[in-house]
This record gives sequence, structure tokens and C-alpha cells, in this order.
Amino acid sequence: MKEKVISYMKPYRLPIGVALILMLVELAVELTQPLLMARIIDEGIMKNDLRAVVALGGEMLGLSLLAFVSGLSNSFVAAYASQNFGYDLRNNLFEKIQGFLFADFNRYPSSSLITRITNDVNQLQSTLFMCLRIAMRAPLLVIGGVTMALLVNARLAMVYLVIIPVLLVFLIAIMNRSSALFGKVQAALDKVNRVLRENLAGMKLIKSYARGDHERSRFKKANSNLTERTASALRLTETAVPILIFVMNLAILAILWFGNMDIKSGKTTVGETVAIVNYAARITTAFSMFSFIITVLSRAKASSGRANEILSYPSHEDGGNDTISRENNKGSKIEFQHIGFKYSEETPEILHDITFTAWPGERVAIMGATGSGKSSLIQLIPKLYEPNTGSILIDDKNIKHLRTDSLRRQIGYVPQEALLFTGTIKENLAWGKEDASLKEMAEAVEDAQIRDTIEALPNQYDTLLGQKGVNLSGGQKQRLSIARALVKKAGILLLDDSTSALDLQTEAKLLKALEKYKVTTLIVTQKISTAKEADRILLLVDGRIIAQGSHEELLECSPLYREIYASQFEETGVES
Amino acid sequence: MRNPQRAVKAERPPHFAGTVKRIWSYLSARKGLLAAVLLMVVASSILGLLGPFIIGKAIDNYLTSKNSARFEWVLIWLAGVYFFYSLSVWLQNFWMIGISQETVGRMRSDLFGQLHNLPIAFYDKRQYGELMSRVTNDIENVSSTLNSSVIQIFSSVLTLVGTLAVMLYLSPLLTLVTMAIVPLMFAGMKWITSRTSKLYREQQRNLGELNGFIEESISGHKIIKSFSEEKKVIREFQEKNKKLKKAGYWAQVYTGFIPKLMNVLNNSSFALVALAGGFFALKGMVTVGTIVTFTEYARQFTRPLNDLSNQFNTLLSAVAGADRVFDILDERKEDFKEGGANDSSKLIGEVEFSHVSFSYEKGGDTVQELNFRAAPGEKVALVGPTGAGKSTIINLISRLYEPDEGKILFDGQDAAEIRRESIRKQMGFVLQDSFLFEDSIRENIRYGRLDASDKEVEEAARTANAHAFISKLPEGYDTVLSAEGSGISQGQKQLLSIARAILAKPAILILDEATSSIDTITELKIKEALSRLMEGRTTFMIAHRLNTIRQADQILVVDQGRIIERGNHQQLLKQKGFYYTLSEKQFKKPAVKAGM
Repeated sequence: MKEKVISYMKPYRLPIGVALILMLVELAVELTQPLLMARIIDEGIMKNDLRAVVALGGEMLGLSLLAFVSGLSNSFVAAYASQNFGYDLRNNLFEKIQGFLFADFNRYPSSSLITRITNDVNQLQSTLFMCLRIAMRAPLLVIGGVTMALLVNARLAMVYLVIIPVLLVFLIAIMNRSSALFGKVQAALDKVNRVLRENLAGMKLIKSYARGDHERSRFKKANSNLTERTASALRLTETAVPILIFVMNLAILAILWFGNMDIKSGKTTVGETVAIVNYAARITTAFSMFSFIITVLSRAKASSGRANEILSYPSHEDGGNDTISRENNKGSKIEFQHIGFKYSEETPEILHDITFTAWPGERVAIMGATGSGKSSLIQLIPKLYEPNTGSILIDDKNIKHLRTDSLRRQIGYVPQEALLFTGTIKENLAWGKEDASLKEMAEAVEDAQIRDTIEALPNQYDTLLGQKGVNLSGGQKQRLSIARALVKKAGILLLDDSTSALDLQTEAKLLKALEKYKVTTLIVTQKISTAKEADRILLLVDGRIIAQGSHEELLECSPLYREIYASQFEETGVES
Repeated sequence: MRNPQRAVKAERPPHFAGTVKRIWSYLSARKGLLAAVLLMVVASSILGLLGPFIIGKAIDNYLTSKNSARFEWVLIWLAGVYFFYSLSVWLQNFWMIGISQETVGRMRSDLFGQLHNLPIAFYDKRQYGELMSRVTNDIENVSSTLNSSVIQIFSSVLTLVGTLAVMLYLSPLLTLVTMAIVPLMFAGMKWITSRTSKLYREQQRNLGELNGFIEESISGHKIIKSFSEEKKVIREFQEKNKKLKKAGYWAQVYTGFIPKLMNVLNNSSFALVALAGGFFALKGMVTVGTIVTFTEYARQFTRPLNDLSNQFNTLLSAVAGADRVFDILDERKEDFKEGGANDSSKLIGEVEFSHVSFSYEKGGDTVQELNFRAAPGEKVALVGPTGAGKSTIINLISRLYEPDEGKILFDGQDAAEIRRESIRKQMGFVLQDSFLFEDSIRENIRYGRLDASDKEVEEAARTANAHAFISKLPEGYDTVLSAEGSGISQGQKQLLSIARAILAKPAILILDEATSSIDTITELKIKEALSRLMEGRTTFMIAHRLNTIRQADQILVVDQGRIIERGNHQQLLKQKGFYYTLSEKQFKKPAVKAGM
């Protein structure tokens, strides 16, 4: 296991230590048990001494009670250590992922992240538990057996000293190999998870296109890949054990052979040889426990590698320490200076040399063709992405030097896809501002033109929304996510085509209601009717601002704007 | 973010025996191989006993005597026994892994298949992540148990039966004494199991909830980030995580009790046998030799019991996992209502709604008394305020939901009598959320018709006006769409879904806000393509921009779940009703704003 994951065990050194000691107590009692049994037989039963039987039996019961108590305590302590270890690990992984940038999510698909937090941590957690309870037993039995054998007759026991290091090397090799295989198993699990997640998210489309069979065969591929990999990983570890046992058994043969020779030459006695053979049998039994241990440990190794990968992923330093607060009650000033942006090195530049200023309280509409960079431009403001060149100033402060949370608190952002969380409407509304009062919420939903809908629901604000708010229509979801942004009462409102599913009347009312907010608004839209309500319109073509001005100005000077206008208002072909 | 599931469904009590039986029915599909495994277990048990036996003989006949002749033969025999012992162990494991992985794989695909059979309404109240956890984490529990436990249980039962037989042969009286602990053992096991099975179930449920939370927070990370609410989400995560920890802790503690309990009972049983044996020997009821052998067997008797009880832990967690899997498998399938399993023949495309009412929640009234008929090839537009029920009508046509009342007829045939899939296969969709797969652009378009050639895919993309932007991408049609930042905008995604629908060449075309994120100039460009596509196909469309629907043959104005006006553009304008006002507002050329 890698250091980073190991370090999460450190806080539980004490319980781990205690658990190990308790386990040793139990083991010690267990080892004396046969001795006591022998004495009960030899001293009690053989001699017909019932009193000795009672005394020794009592001793045995007392000792097994001790083992029982330490076993039970071990249960508590080991569970405490492993569960807390898993808990901490999950928390840290989750926290780490919350700090991910958008690009990081491309490297690690969500399905893989989910598997890592749940499945991989589970593996690690149960491995720790196993180690603290039983896994140590087998190696201890091996060590104990070999030591005893060496004490009895070092010459004959030499066989072990030759064989066991070889077997150890073999074991380690197997473990390395199988942990690589288990790594592949986890990756296959990611894949299954991915197909699954996609199917769940796209169920409506899949059903609509009646592609159930196609998806089933896609899943079948991922699934059989997973089962095959699991089988081959498990089979490797299971192959190791019969080999181990066979080799150990050959050692018994060797002992018998050499023992026979030594007895003939008088170097050893029959009793000694028998004893060593007996120890060999015990060691062999211990080895059969190894298959389980190898499996668990190599799985854990693979899983810890995967957890580690996330934990040691470089954290993104927050750009700066500067903070920002609402100074004026008109809204913030937003300034773009020569912004250039691309999503990654390989993709073409999306925005070129964007320069404009949105003054406090101003409403700026952004229009442009599909793919012209409107959403990209919006997403730069809350630092969801960082520009490659140029700088963005909010109230004259470069956002690069602003603390991200401080910046984002000033922004009400409504993305294109209305995304609501599982929970009540109230919880969703208070999402950006936990202490929002019911009055504030009512006001926001009123302005977002969704109040009547909510209040007509039987449970009103306590209505539960499913994932992505499936109980609501597209337009209702959009309005709810606008209301969520309004509750924040931020200085900047970013609406990324978030009224596309609204009919014009509702949209007009909404825009009207927004006027009373003291906020600078950037609104991406396709509709002239929306744009003309703005103070200024930016017209984007292939990531460049080619014209800006009011509706009237643009009608006059921009042929493209006229064309857009015509596309929406010219009566094409049908006379009315 | 709370799990809505609890509100929907009360916790079902775990039923151990039923679930085990069901797992067994999965396993028993490979009865032949299982029998082979059992055979190998028997073989390895016998060979395992044979080894020490030969050693004993070797010691008696060679080591203790001076006789060394043919000693190597004994050793060779022994080597043979050892070899076959290892081989039988290897074979039983090898086969068992095959069986268990196949079983688990089958369970997983059954579950996946079931997810496709469930009605869309099922998903309205479920978190994806929670469902995912059942397919991965819960089944994982079953998997790890099957791998290790089945063989263990086999061999334990085998030794148990064997030793019991010998014990009975040696002394029925002492056997009875030994068995005295068995009821105690069962009582103890029951006490523990009644707790752990609940705890395991709770643990798996909490894990599922956590999984759901993680999934949601990852897919919603844009909102979380832009609202700067990471801390709050982390806090909520920790709460759920704590719940998982608690259930997991107690489950582990209690299951940890089992082997300890067994140990102490074993030892007491041994002491008891010794005591009773001594007593009986004094009375002359048994010989000392019998007692000695018997104690040895009594020890052997309890060992497999111990092993079995150890296996019990994993078995319990497997049952908890399997239980959750079966929960889903037992959900009612989408097709439960379907009387007829007729495949529809090639549709001409007539669609009729006759007195259709439907609501998502019981007692609500999402749409009521819908009556309309779309002739083959007709273009029908649905207009109305948001939430009026337009998308619901579309959902009913695509049969994602079934009407509560009334009938939907395709080519005059009651939809309830036709297999859903066979109708859907003849429909093409551009839905409100343009869902795309994490796959190449090419494959995403091809989803419309799986056997389409690359050339046809590109043609469809050209028609949908998507070719231009696709070819600008560094990898063109092979660009793999990923969750974030693949540089594809929402509007471009819509273009791809349109291309997908174009490729499908369906009899019935459904356009639900198909162009809402597309700019109006591009829209104009694809409009022609769309009208060519609509040619000869019955089309249903929802759009807020009225100019896209002006050419519809039939416009249905929907408000509050009812059709309030119908007719074509001209007719509706003449009615001077709802549509007229809507149209007035939209087509009135904006006047120059006063005071600017």
C-alpha cells in the first residue's frame, strides 16, 4: 500500500495496536488449548482422576473465557479502527474531488471517481479489519512452526530455511502480479459503472429510440470483461496456494527421506522426525489460509493505488487571497480585457481578444451563432475556467487574485442546463444562501414567475424533487434555477440562455421583474425580443465581438444583426 | 439533497431464507460444474486424510524399523497423493471461480436488463448513483461471498457429517453430550444474525445513498462550484458518511462476535465431554480409549462448525446485497399492462388520442380529456405556456408513460395492444435535453440507426448543419464527447441530436424544443432540412418560437392540461384567442424603445 493511504491509518495507531495485542492474546490461548486438552486426557481421564478433569477443565474454560473477552474487545476495536479509517478516507477523497477543476473531470470520468470513493475504500476498509482480526494469524503460525521445528532439530529443519524464502519470493511475485490484475478488475468495474450511469441518465432517449437491446449488448461487453478479469485475478491467487501446499508437502517428503537416513546413522531420533513432520503439517494448513490473504492484500494494493492517485493529485492553488464584497448597491462592474481562451491545448481557440465592460446595473445581452463562444465567455466570470490570455476585472479587481469563494459569492449563475438537486424545493432554493428566509424565497420565485406553480403543488415548498427535478417541466426547472440564483442577491447575474424553454409572455414578465434587482446582468440569448430589453448587445462571431450597441444601433449598423432579426420577424413564406 | 426513496417505499424486512434460495437458483444453472466442484471437494478431503495416513505407515514401517527397502516407493506414492491433492484443490477453486463469476455476471446483466424494462416513472424518484450502487457494490458483496464461501460450506458440511457419523459410531451417549452445545450455538447465532442482517442491509442502503450523493454532486459540480458551496456539500457528505460508518461499525462488531462465540462454546463442549467422559468411565459405561478418540473427534466436529460460522459473516453481507438487487428485479415491469405482444407492422403514421387523461402523481391532473387525430404525414404543433402539458403529451405518444384513462391509437390500433418497442423503433426523437453518450460524435449520430454507414452519418450531419463545426474539431467525427469541456456547446449538441433523428428516418418524428439552443440563423438553415425530413412523416413538435411552427397542418394550443384551441395558423389567428395574442406579441416588430 502506498504511503498516502497508509497515513490515514496513523490516527488509529492506538486502536490498531490494541487490536493486535488482543489478537495475540487470543492466539496464545488458542495455542495452549491443545496442551490443556492433552493434560486433561493424560492426567485426568487416563488416570481416572475426575478432580483433575474438573480442575483442568475449569482452567480451560477460564482461559477460553479470557480469549472470548479479548476476542469480543478485538471486534470493537478493530471495527472502530477500520470504519474510521474508511470514513476518513472517503471524506478526504470527496473533499479532494470537490476541489477538482473542470479539466480534471475529463481525466477521471465520474463513474471512476464514484467507484473509487465507495468500492475501493470498502476494499481497503475490510482489508484493515481482516488484518486486525485474522490475517496475521497465518504468518504467525508459519513463524511459530518453523521456530519450533528449528528448536527440535536444526539439521532437519534446514529444509524449511531453504524452502520458505523461496516460497516467500514466489508469494510476493504472485501478489504483485495479482494486484496488477485486480487493478484491471477495478478499471473494468469503472467501465461497467460508466455504461450504467450513462444508461440511467439517458434512459429516456434510449427508450425512445428503442435501443434497449443495443445497450444490453454494450453492457454485456463491459460486464463480461469484468467477470473475466475478476476470474483471472482470483484464479491466479487460487493457483498459488495449491502450488505452495504442494511444495510444502514435498518438504515433508524430504524430511522423511533425510530423517530416515539420519535415523539410520543415529543423528536423530524417530520422535524428533515425527515432531518436525507434524510442524510441517501445521505450517501447510496455515499456508492454505494464504490464498485468502493474498487475494485481500493484492486487492487492497490495487485499490490503495487508485485512491492514492486521487489523493496525491496536485491541488489547485487558489489564485489569490484578495476578497471582494458588494460595495455599491447598483451591481458590480465587469471588465474583460483582451481575453483569449481555449479548453485545452489540442482544441482550437474559442474566444479571441474579447474586450468589453459591463457597467454597474447594466444589462448586457450576448448573441451569436451556435458555438460562437457565448457560454464559454460567461463561464470565465465565476472562474469555472481560466482565460489563457488577458484579464477579467470585477469592480476593478483582477479575478485572478481573488479568492474563488469570495468571487463566486458575488455571482448568481444560471447555467444552460437547469440542474436541481434531490431534495425539497425549499432546499433547492436555499442552495446558494442557506439562511434564506421564506419571504426571500417567495420573492425570488415570484420574480422568476414560478410562484403560482409551486404554491399549487400539494406540498408547496416542501415538494420533493427527483434527480434533475424530473417532476417539473423543462421551463419550470429553468425558472426554479433562476429563482435559486436570485435568492443569492448577488451583484452579478449570469443567465446562460436560461430562458430558452420559456414562452415569450413568461419571459417578458421575468425580465421585467429582474429590473428591480440591483445587479449587473449578462444574458445569453437567441431571441431578439430578449436582447432588445438589454441596455447593450454584444454580437459574437467565432469567438470575436464583431458589433456592440443597443438594439436600434445594431439594427442600423450590423448586417448580421439584421439577418438575425429577419430570421425571427420576417414572415417567411406564409402570409398572415 | 436527501434521498427520496424512503418516502416512496417502506423498508422491507430482510428475508434470509428466500434470498439464499434465490441466489441458489442462480447458482444451480451450473449444476453440472457444481457437482464437479463437490466431487473435487470430496476428493481433496479424502486425499487430505490419505497423506497423514501414509506418513503414519511410513513412520511405523520404516523409520522405527531398520528396514529401508522400497522406502522411496512409499515416498513416491506420497508425492502422488500430494500432487493429486493440490490438483483437486486447484480444480475446485478454478471451477468455482468460474461459476461464481458467471453467476454474478448474470445477476448484473439481469439487473441491467430490468432497468430497461422498468417504466420511466420508476426513475422519477430514484437517484442514479443509488441504483448504480446496487449493480456494483451490492453485487460485489455477492461475488466475494460466492468465491470463497461455497467451497468452504461444502467441505465444512462434509467433514461435519463425516465426524458426526464416526462419533455416533464411537459413542451415541457422548455424541449427545457434544451436541448439547448445538442449541446454544443456534440461539447465539440467531441473536447475532437478527441484528447483523438488519445492519448489513442498512449499511448497504447507506452506501447506496452515499453513492447517489457522490454521483449527484459530481454531475452537479458546475452548480456547486459557481455557487461556491463546496463546503456545504462536503458537510452533507460527511453526515451521510457518518451514517454509513455507524451501520458498518455495528455490523462488523456483531459479526465479529460469531467466531468468538463459537470458540468459547467449542472449548466448553470439550471440557464437558471430558468431564462427562470421566464420569461415564468411572461408571464403566465407556472405555478410556473411546474417550480419548472421542475428544479428538469432538474437536474435529467443532472445527467445521467454526468455519461455517466464519462464513456466515460474508454470507450475511451477500444476502443484504442480493436482497437489494432482488428488490429492483421485483419491481413491476413497464410492460405489465400490455395485453397484446403484437409487433406493429410498418406504421403509416396515423396517431389518435381518444379521451386521454394522465397525471404523474396520483390525484393530480397533468393532462385531461385529450382528443385529437394526426393524419399520416401531418405536422402537428403543440403550443402553450410552460408546464401546460406539452412534453407530457410527447411522453405519452412515445409511450414512456401510459395514459390513466382513454386510448392512444397508432394506425387505428390501440397502443396498449402493441409492443412498446416496436412502435418506438419507428419514431425519431429530438428531446429537450439533448443527451449524448461519452463516445465519438460519429457513434452518437449513428445511434439513430445502428446500421448506418459512415457516409450516411456524415450526410445526416451535413443536413443538420453540424458538419461545419465537426470538421473544425481536431479529431473531427472521431472526437470523443466527454462530460466536460470537450468544447461542444449546448446548441451544437442539439444539432447532433437532430442529425441523429435525421438518420433514423422514422415514420413518426418528435421534436421537443428541438432548436431552443440554436441561434435563429442556423435554425433557418436547418429548417429546410427539417421540413424535408418532415415530408411524409407524422411530426409532433413543440417550440416557443412561433415562426418554426407556422407551417404546421394542425396547431394544438394547450393550457393547463387541456387543448383549448386547434386549427392551422390562419384559422387560429382568425379565432382571435390565446394563439392570436401569443402571435401578436411575438411577431409584432419591436418598436424603437422610447427614451433611449
